[in-house]
Amino acid sequence: MAIVLPVLLCLGCGLSLVSLGYTRHSQATANLLLCTSLSFGFGLGIFSIIFFFARVFGITNVVALDLTVFAILLASFFFLRSRVKTTVTAPETFDGPNWLHRLLTASFVIALCAAVYAAILRTLAHPRGDGWDAFAIWNLHARFLFLGGAHWRDGFSPLIPWSHPDYPLLLPAAIAHFWTFLGYDAPAVPAVIGSAFTFATVALLLSSLSIHRGALPAMLGGLTLLATPSFIAVGTSQYADIPLSFFVLATIVLLRLHDAQHSPGPLALAGVGAGFAAWTKNEGILFVAAIVLARSLLVRPDNSLQRQSRPNAHLAPLLLTVLPIFLLIAYFKHFVSPPGDLFSDPPTMLHKLLDPLRYWIILKWFTKEFFRFGHWLLIPFPLLMPAYYFFTREETSGQDLRDRASTLALALTFAGYSAIYLITPYDLYWHLRFSLSRLFLQLWPSAIFLFFLAAPRRADLP
Amino acid sequence: MHQFSPGFSPRITIATTIFILCCLLSTARIVIDAPSPTRLHPDDIAQRSDQSFASLKAALPQQGIVGYVGDSDAPADYYLAQYALAPLVVDHSPDHQLVVGNFSAQQLPQGLPYAHLQLLKDFGNGVLLFANRDAK
Repeated sequence: MAIVLPVLLCLGCGLSLVSLGYTRHSQATANLLLCTSLSFGFGLGIFSIIFFFARVFGITNVVALDLTVFAILLASFFFLRSRVKTTVTAPETFDGPNWLHRLLTASFVIALCAAVYAAILRTLAHPRGDGWDAFAIWNLHARFLFLGGAHWRDGFSPLIPWSHPDYPLLLPAAIAHFWTFLGYDAPAVPAVIGSAFTFATVALLLSSLSIHRGALPAMLGGLTLLATPSFIAVGTSQYADIPLSFFVLATIVLLRLHDAQHSPGPLALAGVGAGFAAWTKNEGILFVAAIVLARSLLVRPDNSLQRQSRPNAHLAPLLLTVLPIFLLIAYFKHFVSPPGDLFSDPPTMLHKLLDPLRYWIILKWFTKEFFRFGHWLLIPFPLLMPAYYFFTREETSGQDLRDRASTLALALTFAGYSAIYLITPYDLYWHLRFSLSRLFLQLWPSAIFLFFLAAPRRADLP
Repeated sequence: MHQFSPGFSPRITIATTIFILCCLLSTARIVIDAPSPTRLHPDDIAQRSDQSFASLKAALPQQGIVGYVGDSDAPADYYLAQYALAPLVVDHSPDHQLVVGNFSAQQLPQGLPYAHLQLLKDFGNGVLLFANRDAK
């Protein structure tokens, strides 16, 4: 029973925050699913920040802090709710024959059951996470935050090699917050959070596609993600890659809602989502830079394609909400964690940048891993999806101009990942081997979302 | 004959059906790769970390830095010790007043290369606590 209160508080905080900026649509089920999945992720983000603040300022009564934050968010919701203008956009429906719907629904249910089955068994087989990063990084940091008391900063000592003390704290601090309620460091907490992020990502993808495109593309998108074996495996391994993929997707989904509704609420929430992405993993910082740059380049205040450079005042709500989380990250990086190891040796970095062999190795690995990262059976989805697109392209109007900014953001993030490999201080082969497939997974749900926004799509639809 | 909705051609229906079947193929892999429920045994992480070091942890101070020596080349042993002993910082070095020894149970160290380490207590299963006479 001790877990009920923190779960309610976490979801309550998340729901209050999401409700502040989210405009409900006519599709009740999709609406509920989208709100619930966003509330879960944002609630955990808020929980992690509350716990970090409690540790920084030495506050021992975390419950009181939780209740205060919840009350403030709830009051803000009731105070500001009436001022939010609601514009409901009709989804673009693309309904097929009944038998296809039944086949798709049955396949989706089978894939969901298979994913739940695998997630439960994997969690039971690896209760403390599947792989080193779980216990050597994420859960270790959570233990220091929970057990360390006034000495919690010891967990970010450079004396602990390979624990990446500069990694942000969304996941460890959220886990430690729940442990505080329980009174002990239950291994079930990170396990449940990991699985919940996995299925919340599916729910977010399904509901957002349902709102924009209708049931068929939504279930196709959900099925594509659920049928990615490595997504389920990494999602239950207690790593931070799937939580990051959730926040990247949340940001892109909320930007799409903003573009459809012309309301500042989802844009502000997108800023929160982007901030939480950066607070989850360092790669999230790269994504935030990419999304801001892409939208500055491509999107006008009236949501049309931008052709000339112009002031970016239309990004203000996003920047205003991402900024506090970036200040928090800056505090953590400056005052808590030791400097990261990536940029520790500029002369060597420059030497590596000028080595053409490294470019060739990275290109080779990226190409190879692009078709393998999902661990699909027989047919890699990165081959299947373009084939599907081109097979139906006569009936596809192509990508919406507004979605090009998000696509560009993913491409820029990916380019940033490549640049990191160029300068990595670690052995390049080792680094590529143990991280590249997870980097693909970080962007995979968003790539599926953007793909099924465009295909299949009738050319006569708006 | 099936009735197609407006704009939903046989071409797109066939493509969508093939797409769904390909997804089901990979779904099969998810089930195949999942641990078997009839032979389900939790991994040994808990045994190698929390359970192995529980007695030692009770004997150590609650905060601070301890040293670490071990006979295994596998870094996992060190990380599992650090995970179990948190919030103590475990430095992979003997240069501390208290040093944790983590050795394979069958090969307890007969001749330690660290002459300055004095065995304080053997906690069993290869977990030892040493004092470093030379450490400040």
